[in-house]
Amino acid sequence: MLITSLVMSLNQLLPVAILLILLQVVAKQSLMKLLGGLILGIGLSFLFVKSAPLMSPLFDYQGLEYAQIGLCILIFISALYYAIKQATAAFMIAIISVMTLYLSHYIIYLIGFWQSNEAAQSLFIGTFLGLGICSSFSVLLYFLLSAIKQRFGLTPLLVLLALNSAAKLVVALDLASQIDLIATTVTVWDLRDILTENSEFGRVLRALIGYEATPNLTSLLSYVLSSVLFLSACYFIPKSITKEKS
Amino acid sequence: MIKQLIRPYLYCCVFLSFNAASKDYRIVLKDHLFYPAEIVVPANKKVRLLIENQDSTPEEFDSFDLNREKVLYPKRKSVIYIGPLIPGRYEFFGEFSPNTARGAVIVTEKERSNANN
Repeated sequence: MLITSLVMSLNQLLPVAILLILLQVVAKQSLMKLLGGLILGIGLSFLFVKSAPLMSPLFDYQGLEYAQIGLCILIFISALYYAIKQATAAFMIAIISVMTLYLSHYIIYLIGFWQSNEAAQSLFIGTFLGLGICSSFSVLLYFLLSAIKQRFGLTPLLVLLALNSAAKLVVALDLASQIDLIATTVTVWDLRDILTENSEFGRVLRALIGYEATPNLTSLLSYVLSSVLFLSACYFIPKSITKEKS
Repeated sequence: MIKQLIRPYLYCCVFLSFNAASKDYRIVLKDHLFYPAEIVVPANKKVRLLIENQDSTPEEFDSFDLNREKVLYPKRKSVIYIGPLIPGRYEFFGEFSPNTARGAVIVTEKERSNANN
């Protein structure tokens, strides 16, 4: 139970921490806004968990998937808007959405097993350790990305943010094929012998850039196209705004 | 003319809908174990997994191989579509009880059906 809690907390906290750090390094937000976003995110995650049994039977028992697809799309759009305009609202929406998407799973796990006396201690220690590891990773990532920004400018960060956001659209596609909304296409390659997604490095890569060992054609094309779209928008839209102003 | 165009379309729709709904594979989660732990499904066909969580705790059906993830609420049924898949072994597990709740979808060319209908 202790190891499961630790792995679960890392799985659900890492994607939140990575997006938070990426957005913070692209354009820094004040500590108050950051804390506000985190508190709102935790609150909405609990609300999502509470309303999940009501949402679940909607649309022929596909309500939760639709809600999660909506959150994934919201993360992509708000991250893109933040990369272009650095608007606080976009930062808040991205953070709250990613927290609701990932933390809700962990909250379901915590609530489900908390009642068991034997499990409570393991859950607490596992969560505490997971938070500690995630915080350490976040600090290191923050300084690494800040150093990259100082040396190479914003472009590498925008590429990373584009890949991270595009990965959320791939999650949305997987959810859509899970409920038979879109057809699953053929697997393009199988890298399970080289790097599995449940290995330590595989998990970090998955949280960072959406690594998939067995991607299907639709996912791969969407990933590439949405990354290109993200980067093109970041490159062309600020230029057109500057032109209009001058 | 319109009738001639519509008729094949309707036949096609009816055929596809029967084809899509023809195979249900039922998996039960009980005492943090999947029953059956292995299901055999035909290659290159979409199948519908009906997963029933009979435990009093939630579970999360997770599979890196199938790119699927779904919370299974206690005492409830959930549906996941998978495939079409190429022959091979695709593992899945319960993320909340990964040591016990483990299973695999075995995709074969020859249909050794353990479908429910």
